[in-house]
Amino acid sequence: MTSCSKTSAELRRARPLLGTLVEIRARGVAPATLDAAFAAVARVHARMSPHEPASDVARLNRARAGETLRIDAWTWRVLAAAQRLAEKSHGVFDVTIAQSSTGVPPAGCTTAGADACATRAGDWRDLVLLPRPRVRVARPLRLDLGGIAKGFAVDRALAILRAAGATSGVVNAGGDLRVFGAAAERVVVRHPAAPGRLIPLALLRAGALATSANYFDAPRAARLRRPDGRRLWLGRGSVSVRAPTCLLADALTKIVAAIGPRRAEPLLRAHRASALVLTRDGRICTSEEFRDAA
Amino acid sequence: MRTKWLAVPVVLAATTSGYATVYLTVEQAQQAIFPGAKFTFAPVKLDAAQRKAIEKQSGVRVRSAELQAWRTSDSGWFFVDEVLGKHEFIAYACGLDASGAVVGVEILDYRETYGGEIRQSKWRAQFAGKTARDPLKLDAEIKNISGATLSCRHVTDGVKRLLALHDLVLKNLR
Repeated sequence: MTSCSKTSAELRRARPLLGTLVEIRARGVAPATLDAAFAAVARVHARMSPHEPASDVARLNRARAGETLRIDAWTWRVLAAAQRLAEKSHGVFDVTIAQSSTGVPPAGCTTAGADACATRAGDWRDLVLLPRPRVRVARPLRLDLGGIAKGFAVDRALAILRAAGATSGVVNAGGDLRVFGAAAERVVVRHPAAPGRLIPLALLRAGALATSANYFDAPRAARLRRPDGRRLWLGRGSVSVRAPTCLLADALTKIVAAIGPRRAEPLLRAHRASALVLTRDGRICTSEEFRDAA
Repeated sequence: MRTKWLAVPVVLAATTSGYATVYLTVEQAQQAIFPGAKFTFAPVKLDAAQRKAIEKQSGVRVRSAELQAWRTSDSGWFFVDEVLGKHEFIAYACGLDASGAVVGVEILDYRETYGGEIRQSKWRAQFAGKTARDPLKLDAEIKNISGATLSCRHVTDGVKRLLALHDLVLKNLR
């Protein structure tokens, strides 16, 4: 009962982290492996939550213009990925967005520099990545990694399950999920107009899937913007993205929500990702790849 | 090659009035948070003044005057508590060490409903006494929901309330 149940029984746990319930399932590992996977998620929470005063994100938000900071290697990796996506999306994806959406000047603005802060708010170009693990803040910033860190946390937790020899695993952080293993996982999405109704989305054997719906989670939608200041492409619906990693799936949903799946297509393709849009009246717009991808 | 965008016909959505997941039994959660420890059931009853003081310190409403609690062999505390959101009902376990620091938080079970039934005791009663060995039949196939609305705010508030309870009431117990 002990040794064979360890490999066949699925362990399933959930803990409150990253502002949501994070669920981890795995076969073929001991319970301590799930603890280690949750610890990875907790590390992301501790280093990247803007609400934790000691987090890297809070420190960067307090940094003065020109200041260089040493940050956690994981935060540096997330920032590096965010900067690549910002560049490729011409600023549609911008982790410094929280500042302009609230209209609040960054905490780091001094009285002397207030004019400069007011005339051009800092954006992603003002965050300069130096050799790991250092970054320089060229202009006071208000960072929020809400659109990418959750996906990264899912990837890290899944990596721990894999490294421990799990035969299958699922990590789901409030709807951003990644799976591996023998059996295909059926994934459903909530109906945009009726969250109690669940619509089958895909069978996922490997890889990640994330969904953004901009009325469930208005603050998150507020982080999205278009470089020209125009409205988001996505109205009251949801965007789901399949990608090889959950970091990419998470971040790409924000880009698709901002500019629409057709304009985001080159970026989706470049990352071996595909999108599905669900409108409020229950219509689905998707690429063939979304459903076919194995 | 360009992506062909398909306007897929409306997919029939499964309507779920109740979706539930059981993660751990009380015993499993005890061993997960305090491996190897011994537990003595020590339910907590609060008087009106204690409730008020806890509410004041934590900023969280104290719904119930009674709480399931256990003392551990190392003078820690293990609680089983429930929180109620608009659509969700979450039972969780929280362990505190002798100094009152959080050792761990584990979700025991999660239930959600859309239709306003969650505040009715009848709807909640159907889950009473359920354990991981006795899985709920409600949409057992639904395991992966993307775009979930799950918020952990109520659980975080619940833990704040337990910390205030420890600080104001339990810390001084011998």
